[in-house]
Amino acid sequence: MKKIIISFFTIFLLFSCTKNKLQLVKIEGKLLPITEKLASDSSIVKTYLPYKYKMEKEMNSVLCYTSKNLVATDGVLESSLGNLLADLCYKKGNFVFKKRTGKNIDFAMFNFRGIRAGIPKGNVTTQNAFNLMPFENNLVVVELSSKKLRELIQYLITKKKAHPLSKQVRLRITKNGYNFSINGKPINDKKTYFVLTSDYLQHGGDHMDFFKNPVHLYELDYKMRNAIIDYFKETDTLKSNLDGRFVMKN
Amino acid sequence: MKRRKFIQQSTAATAYLTLGGLSLQSFSTNTLKHITILHTNDVHSHIEPFPADDIDYPNLGGVARRSTLIEKIRQENPNTLLLDAGDIFQGTPYFNIYGGEIEFKLMSQLKYDAATIGNHDFDNSINGLYAQLPNATFTFVSANYDFSKTVLNNHVKPYKIFVKDGIKIGVFGLGIELEGLVDPKNYKETKYLNPVEIAKNVSKTLKEEEHCDLVICLSHLGYHYKSDKIDDLKLASQTKDIDLIIGGHTHTFLPKPTITKNVAGENMLVNQVGCYGINLGRIDFYFDDNKKKTSKGTTIIV
Repeated sequence: MKKIIISFFTIFLLFSCTKNKLQLVKIEGKLLPITEKLASDSSIVKTYLPYKYKMEKEMNSVLCYTSKNLVATDGVLESSLGNLLADLCYKKGNFVFKKRTGKNIDFAMFNFRGIRAGIPKGNVTTQNAFNLMPFENNLVVVELSSKKLRELIQYLITKKKAHPLSKQVRLRITKNGYNFSINGKPINDKKTYFVLTSDYLQHGGDHMDFFKNPVHLYELDYKMRNAIIDYFKETDTLKSNLDGRFVMKN
Repeated sequence: MKRRKFIQQSTAATAYLTLGGLSLQSFSTNTLKHITILHTNDVHSHIEPFPADDIDYPNLGGVARRSTLIEKIRQENPNTLLLDAGDIFQGTPYFNIYGGEIEFKLMSQLKYDAATIGNHDFDNSINGLYAQLPNATFTFVSANYDFSKTVLNNHVKPYKIFVKDGIKIGVFGLGIELEGLVDPKNYKETKYLNPVEIAKNVSKTLKEEEHCDLVICLSHLGYHYKSDKIDDLKLASQTKDIDLIIGGHTHTFLPKPTITKNVAGENMLVNQVGCYGINLGRIDFYFDDNKKKTSKGTTIIV
């Protein structure tokens, strides 16, 4: 009985609450810019300062040296920085790939847009490696049929961009077509080819669709940036030149 | 018998008074209730302000300055929620070196209440996100990512209900389609579910079963696409129980929140404040039980 009476009042009150329910009467919206007029909360700065110092120490640590500016724009279809990037990734990637499979990678190919910053003359720091490759892309090896390899070459010829290629490749656009070789050998249609690239491009980035659905995909579990940093650490002075690996003959 | 009845009656009377007293407190006339929602999106590991010589955002942003502003607003109105719409990770070496530890620690220090998950929050894979969760004191909400077969199972909730000054606020999260955007190796067995269907169901639950006074969607779908791809504006037009969509992903700098109509033709808000902690969004909700006022409907000032 007691419960019933209380329940009754509860229901009565709930009902009256519903009738008197609070109504949303006004909404106000604003954009508040975070400018220098706002003082910095010192307790927040205190939290991140040790991280900042440790990070800056690591970022400013000198890994190697370059006697000239390395840029992605000093050639037409190749560049000193693109050649360096493709060659060092080949070297670091092939070391892992050969240990795992006993085979050699045929060549490396990346995209022009993937080179995010040049390396100025002087000491080369970890920061330079981060500027060059800010993304978390991983190195992968795609096993391509000769048909897909020809699509790759056609892509390079159509785009006419200095997409980084490693030094094993010689590609010359001629009046009637092209000359192409890997380590001095022409394409063998009975062979498959191992091409080093990034997981981003393998997934169709920059429309490099020939990397999709390869004969086989080998993931190296090796970040491109880490390959760059590792190479910089073991190198005293960076050397890279234009060597005619990808040219157009008029 | 008679005595027993008397006791019952007095008990009932006491109950009435107690409940009546509560009811008077809760529903007294002309008592405005005020809820403030503060929000960020796509902060992308931007801890420090941009340098003075930055081309795009000179001397803007910075977590320490944001903290000062948030504290000032909290002092004005303690009934404040602080929310983030995802892509907390990736964008400065702080993330590459510490994997998101400092981002979560600072957001916890700022007393964020909830955040949803953006595509870049998978950048160190779902395990990398999971590893940083102990540094976050706030709740992650996502209703359309099914994490049941991943390490995040039971660590992310579809929604969370906050009660501020007696006002119930339901906050749920929505994430963008991962396929084609995030490496499957990173999101692993996460299943993406249709955000519109999920939003309809969850917002209905929050309004009708949980009796929320406010329903807020933290979305990382993106503000607007010309294509058929689902976005915040399309989501708004296809649902009816959401009061506010706080968006992200497209780094859209809205000068003010967008007033748009839901499927029932009622006005609602969609907001997004760009990226990198350049701005803080602020939406104030005022409640009243004055019948004269309610007959006018809700006034929206942006």
